[in-house]
Amino acid sequence: MTTELLKLAGSLAAILLIFLVALKLRLGGDIRLRSEAEARELADHAVCGFDAVDVALDRAGIGALLRDRQGRVMLLRRHGAHFASRLLDGHADTRLDHNFLTIGTGERRFGSVTLDLGAEAQVWASSLRHLGSVHA
Amino acid sequence: MPDFNPVDYAVPGFILLVLLEMAWAWKRAPEKYESRDTLTSLALGTGSTIAGALTGGLLIAAFVWLYKFRLLDIGWQWWAWALCFVLDDLAYYWFHRMAHRVRWFWASHVNHHSSQHYNLSTALRQTWTGFIAVSFLFRLPLALIGFHPAMIAFCGGINLIYQFWFHTEAIDKCPRWFEAVMNTPSHHRVHHATNPRYLDRNYAGVFIVWDRMFGTFAPEVDGERIRYGIVKQLGSFNLLWAVFHEWIGIATDVWRAPWRHKLSYVWREPGWTHDGSRDTSDMIRARWLERQTDGARLAGE
Repeated sequence: MTTELLKLAGSLAAILLIFLVALKLRLGGDIRLRSEAEARELADHAVCGFDAVDVALDRAGIGALLRDRQGRVMLLRRHGAHFASRLLDGHADTRLDHNFLTIGTGERRFGSVTLDLGAEAQVWASSLRHLGSVHA
Repeated sequence: MPDFNPVDYAVPGFILLVLLEMAWAWKRAPEKYESRDTLTSLALGTGSTIAGALTGGLLIAAFVWLYKFRLLDIGWQWWAWALCFVLDDLAYYWFHRMAHRVRWFWASHVNHHSSQHYNLSTALRQTWTGFIAVSFLFRLPLALIGFHPAMIAFCGGINLIYQFWFHTEAIDKCPRWFEAVMNTPSHHRVHHATNPRYLDRNYAGVFIVWDRMFGTFAPEVDGERIRYGIVKQLGSFNLLWAVFHEWIGIATDVWRAPWRHKLSYVWREPGWTHDGSRDTSDMIRARWLERQTDGARLAGE
């Protein structure tokens, strides 16, 4: 039993050490979306066949909203050193504040994201209101 | 039964190699590691060790009990170790294949795939719920054949240790003869990829020959960027969510499904739904192949 507890303590110490080294070395970097093309590529990879016809990039590159020909809307957001996405199926969690659009996914763990879309924010907020009816 | 686990002795080496790979990433490609992702992976690894310690006694009892009914008295000759290692790896191949094709097993195994990174810390990202998923079933026949449970446990440990080193992007390709027979970083990158062409490929543990034999091998294609993780990325570093999300998904789907479809959400492939509202890996690959064909036809016109 003592040996097992010592092993566990050693593992926890090693985890802490590795985590601190990763923090100190600033591994992961500061990943941003650089272009609409990159957002399109990520969207197509997230949902094979998602051919975006409309893209709104966050001004700082932390996320994007994309719409395809079928009217599906995808939210891309930064997750660590990568991006994660969700197809949106409603607008209940959407809030507009000038140029900032806050978009929720209904998933507590995925959370919501606030994108700075500039003048496009209002247009997207308006179109997201129709989202539920598109998929109904 | 002798109490010797080779993995215990390998752990310091694992830690050292993770630190070395982090130094490599710092110099060459900082995006290959991310501190929160690494923390989640290592916590999953430690939790897996604890879960293993809690259920290990029951597992040993099951193997020892079954060994009483063994078909052969194989003993401890040198060739028995070699044969046990090879057959254990074959058992691992089938376990691993089922772990990707049956949602019940996937719910446990998905932990290992839920990082969007592919580095040595990902190797330590192991399940807490393997016992619940009854993953050990695949190794039980070895005891029934006549391999001593201690020998099976040792071979399983060596298999696990071997599988550590190839979770890296720091190594490109190994010599051709080695790539032909053994599992390598290149082969296993394919396995962790979510690119449609790579989904559900390269299940091997140690010997890649099993995939070549059973038709599940795919080579890594030069020039195509690999994206790692799962089809629906977690988008969260929450440890408990990483451990239990697929189990919760199964429970939710079974609860909501019509009676005649309930069990299908347990034993069918991940992504299967009775109304076709989600994608399985076969559906994604088929759609991708269709697009490739259409693209080639348009290019030819």
